Amino acid sequence: MRATIVAVLAALALTAAATAPAARHAPPTCPKAWAKGWTALANRVGAPVYCPTWMPNPLDARIGGQWQDIYSISKDRSYLVSFLYHGEGASGDVHVNFRGYPGRTKIPRCKTVVLAGANKTIRGTTPCFADPHGTTKANGIKATVYTVNQDADQWHVLLAWRHKGSLYTVSEHVIRPYTFKQVVRNLDVLLRSLVLVQPKR
Amino acid sequence: MALTRRRLLGSALAAAAGGAGIYELVDQLAGTPARTAAARAHRRPEQHLLDLGTVVDEGVDVVVPPLHSELVTATIADAGDLRAAQHDLERTLARLDAEYPAAAAGLGVTVAWGLPYFEQRVAAAWAAHAPQDRRAQKPALLPPRRFPSDPHDTILERNEVAVLLRSDARDHVDAARQAIFADLKLFRTTSIRRGFAGGGFAGRRSLPKKMAVAAGVPGADLIPETSELFLGFTSTQKAGLGPGKIANHETLGLVDLRGGYFAHGTHMHLSHIAEDLEAWYLNFDFDERVLTAFSPSLRAPRPDAQTIPQGPRDVSDAARVRADFRRSGRFGHSGSIQPTSRLQSDVVGPDGTHYPKGTAIPQRADFNTLDNPFAWTADPDRDGFSSEPAAGVHFVVFNPSSDDFERNRLAMDGVLPDGMTLAVAPQSRAQGFNSVLTTTHRQNFLVPPRAHRSFPLAELS
Repeated sequence: MRATIVAVLAALALTAAATAPAARHAPPTCPKAWAKGWTALANRVGAPVYCPTWMPNPLDARIGGQWQDIYSISKDRSYLVSFLYHGEGASGDVHVNFRGYPGRTKIPRCKTVVLAGANKTIRGTTPCFADPHGTTKANGIKATVYTVNQDADQWHVLLAWRHKGSLYTVSEHVIRPYTFKQVVRNLDVLLRSLVLVQPKR
Repeated sequence: MALTRRRLLGSALAAAAGGAGIYELVDQLAGTPARTAAARAHRRPEQHLLDLGTVVDEGVDVVVPPLHSELVTATIADAGDLRAAQHDLERTLARLDAEYPAAAAGLGVTVAWGLPYFEQRVAAAWAAHAPQDRRAQKPALLPPRRFPSDPHDTILERNEVAVLLRSDARDHVDAARQAIFADLKLFRTTSIRRGFAGGGFAGRRSLPKKMAVAAGVPGADLIPETSELFLGFTSTQKAGLGPGKIANHETLGLVDLRGGYFAHGTHMHLSHIAEDLEAWYLNFDFDERVLTAFSPSLRAPRPDAQTIPQGPRDVSDAARVRADFRRSGRFGHSGSIQPTSRLQSDVVGPDGTHYPKGTAIPQRADFNTLDNPFAWTADPDRDGFSSEPAAGVHFVVFNPSSDDFERNRLAMDGVLPDGMTLAVAPQSRAQGFNSVLTTTHRQNFLVPPRAHRSFPLAELS
């Protein structure tokens, strides 16, 4: 039953993807119910953040809402806000991550750990976002598509772009009910839907 | 016109009735490779050798594989009169020989026989003539086994015969299958396995890429455009394949042929391996794919290179594999196998051919597939059959003996020829390709020489 619901939601998401942001006439704004959380985030990191006005079903992007998974702000002001729908059994997940690195544009490096035999651990680093697959342009943003990503973005397709000296990303997990192609399409819609939220103090 | 998944499935349904299923698309999606005219007259004593041309790709000599490969397995339908069966099958094979040149433009037919055939049908003659592996001190043909990285439920098959059909022309393969398995009433078919390779040289979109995209298998969109195989690297570079008669039982002196009945024969391992393309392309960046596929100390000559030189001077020995592992915690797929798959010193074969140190021994004939796990099976429940396409490879390789194959396969799991084991978990990503591969079926076969390809030893039984 749950799987059916997810499939229906996925279909709805694709329908929404085809129509939602493009049909708007007024400049989009961060939805009222979500704006409070994104503004608070912008205030905490002291930099603009991108609020989506569309999310793949069943997710919304209300920070503190039912789908929020991770809300993490580091000492360097970089943040990760994650929304997750976890389906029962093998019905799949819908998982979208938003990241920002205020004041930094370089792709960060993630830690790697390789166990070499029973007693030896080899630690290193690798780019957190790798294997660029071209760019996509929408909403005044030119984003690079990365297909090999680390940590919370592992097994995600990720869009990364720079804005006024900061690096931003949005990514979605490639997992049922969405195929790779559908995830790429969802990310295009997400990119089109983004609005900047400025810090208020 | 763009080929959509709906059109693909429509074509597949229509084509299935004709026997080839989605593989008829190979002819729609790939042009026939340019090949030099094949000599019709000369047939070598070896069944497993097929004339294939080469091209230079990214500065490396690459063998152009046949577009279509098909492997049919069977048991013997009626064990009544083996000598009559031997005569009938040989007559059919000889007719195919006369009709098609022994080249990719014509038809390659390799008839291989499993241990159940030898032990059940011709046991006494087999006891007298079975080749023995001198190095392993075991028979050259062993029952299949599971390896450390294999799932616990990998099926160890017991087919009596396997026929490998290879050609650039689908209708040649179809004609051969019809002649051997339908017109003759000698066999009970147990599985049909189909696939394809190549077609992407000179910058053209490759056949595996086109087929995977058309079938809509997960990860298809991430396969490089010109990749010879699903996993993104050129697998048939000339230096990586055993030359000439090197995989014959007799060439390297590994096998005692006793009375010599199986001289010019070889050993064939057959397995089906499912490939998780999405895991490969979404979790391993290009640099990691290179070190995983080859060696942790190897760097690709250029970003996105697909043909990575693997000549005799590029190969790893056991000491290098160990050193790489100590430094990086990893061992690459090719690198780990090379200490067993490449000659560790110069060898002169019985016909005077000089094989220098570093020369590859196995002759691979593997091909990508969308079978899940087979195109057809007599036992769908046992084999986990599904009609939904899935990325995989039918791994076909000729080695002098089962043990020689096993040494290579064990090395792929970190068991080096000197007995040292590089300790990593069986499905760890530190362990070559294994984390994205799942072997579903395995079997070993003996490939007799052409002279004894039909029901071998039946005339002595």
